[in-house]
Amino acid sequence: MTTTTTAATPLYEARNISKHYGAVFALDDVSMAIHAGEIVGLVGDNGAGKSTLVKCLSGVHTPDHGTMVLDGVDRHWRSPRDAIEAGIETLYQDSGLASHLSVSANVFLGREKLMPGVLGKLGFLDKKAMDREAHADLERVGIAVPSSNRSIGQLSGGQRQAVAIGRAVAWASKVIILDEPTNHLGARQSGEVLEVIKAAKQNGLGVVFISHTLPHVLQVTDRIVVLRLGRVVRDSPTSEFDAESLLGTITGLIDR
Amino acid sequence: MTTAVETQREDAPTAASRLRALGGNQLFILAAFMVVLIAFFSLKNSQFFSQSVMENVLNDWSPLVLIAIGETFVVVAGGIDLSVGANIAMSGVVAALLMRRLTLGHHGANLTMLLGVLVAMAVGAIVGFVNALLINKAKLVPFVASLATLGVCKGLAVVWTKGGPVGDAPSNTIPLTISRFGPFSIAMLVVFVVVAVATVLMHLTRFGRYTFAVGSNPFAARAAGINVQRHLTKAYVMCGALAGLAGIIYYLRLQSGSPSTGIGRELDAIAAVVIGGVILTGGVGRVMGAALGTLVLSTVASGLVIIGVPANYRDVVVGVLIALAGIVLGLRATVGKASS
Repeated sequence: MTTTTTAATPLYEARNISKHYGAVFALDDVSMAIHAGEIVGLVGDNGAGKSTLVKCLSGVHTPDHGTMVLDGVDRHWRSPRDAIEAGIETLYQDSGLASHLSVSANVFLGREKLMPGVLGKLGFLDKKAMDREAHADLERVGIAVPSSNRSIGQLSGGQRQAVAIGRAVAWASKVIILDEPTNHLGARQSGEVLEVIKAAKQNGLGVVFISHTLPHVLQVTDRIVVLRLGRVVRDSPTSEFDAESLLGTITGLIDR
Repeated sequence: MTTAVETQREDAPTAASRLRALGGNQLFILAAFMVVLIAFFSLKNSQFFSQSVMENVLNDWSPLVLIAIGETFVVVAGGIDLSVGANIAMSGVVAALLMRRLTLGHHGANLTMLLGVLVAMAVGAIVGFVNALLINKAKLVPFVASLATLGVCKGLAVVWTKGGPVGDAPSNTIPLTISRFGPFSIAMLVVFVVVAVATVLMHLTRFGRYTFAVGSNPFAARAAGINVQRHLTKAYVMCGALAGLAGIIYYLRLQSGSPSTGIGRELDAIAAVVIGGVILTGGVGRVMGAALGTLVLSTVASGLVIIGVPANYRDVVVGVLIALAGIVLGLRATVGKASS
């Protein structure tokens, strides 16, 4: 949130990223940039490489070639923890929450609050504080969920998605990557999620928004990056697209 | 802006408290079942509720609960360890060989025993580490990895002893197993401490939280910055070390290390955790459930003998109990869903 990058320097960049699995190129020399206070749409057909790019951006995958640049500094994520500690939060499509764990355990997963004093040194969890703060965090980003100590498996699909988004927004200090955040959501809930994303932008975060729901992409993003077969085929301001041209660019009917 | 309208209605306090009641229920069911078991066996034979029988039950329980607890951590973390039984044999035998040498060399009994415990746990931990290595690095599924180490441990225990027991135990083996505090021996008190520490570790600390997270959704755990492989390694090493400690408990009781000790006990451990409500797909379980599950097994084993049922029926009863536990768990899951 206290980023010093100017509008000219991107907040977060992927430069010339390649990633292949065996002989298959999932990503072939892909570059994209995210500025502070900008929502970048990342779209493409199934198999275009969106998820692979997301995992490179979030530190889950290490690219074969290319670099990540955060605030103008080259970064090499060895694990998701590196990226998280640098302020990059990711919402993964469908698989980011531990369903047997409570809401607050998920919100605090990987950064648990420990008890003060000796007990904390021994690794004792401060469950009450986490329950309380998880509730407050989720409310702060505009998401109200049932009591923090309910397990994720007991929530509806929409509520789960709300927790996942709330967690990402609450912790992100620079970049937030959202892979299909409006999946499984009804129209009203989707609208709420889009509001949460806009609020994150207002707070100066860089947002990567991945979605198959093109109206959402057109509605909320500032710029759209289109991937096809592992390459960037278009990177333009959202104002240059309409529903038809965006779909055409994704499928390859419109080639530029 | 918020989804409060819809969600807070569902957030009636009854739902949360009902869920908590369900979680506690499983221990309650087990405890109630224990009461029924004890009442049943006592009615059939008044000798059942005596100190000597209780000692018998606890003697069977104390090594078994150690591997059941190790198995609980591994299973909750999404794995399984089939090697704990053979690990008992091998770590017990290695410690016995060392202790025989020390005893014959006229070293003090206490020092000998201490080194024996440390070596047994170290050998057990190494087996756990190898399991973790095979799973993390060689990418074997836990079942295959621990089946491989089961074979190696079982074989080495026989090779190193030429098949016979290793005696010449230090002079303090018997005192450590004599009932001093009611039916409890020093060895049993050690086991109680392990159960208590494991309970706290699993349910109150970050280590336990990671164990559940890794077993519930390894991808989510990794994406949240948890080093999944390292945590699995810790769980398998701990499970192995507990098997080593179980090896020593058997050694104390038999006053020798034998390559047949512990063989097949991995199935008892798995039976105990299943009866105790640990779910084999990971992410769910309680240490106290596994401890009670083990107590059920040990009670059934002694009880059947006392009421004159041939010992071979024990396995039949245990089989039925496993099926019953599964059915109860299934029912609880259904009720849980309905209430949410």
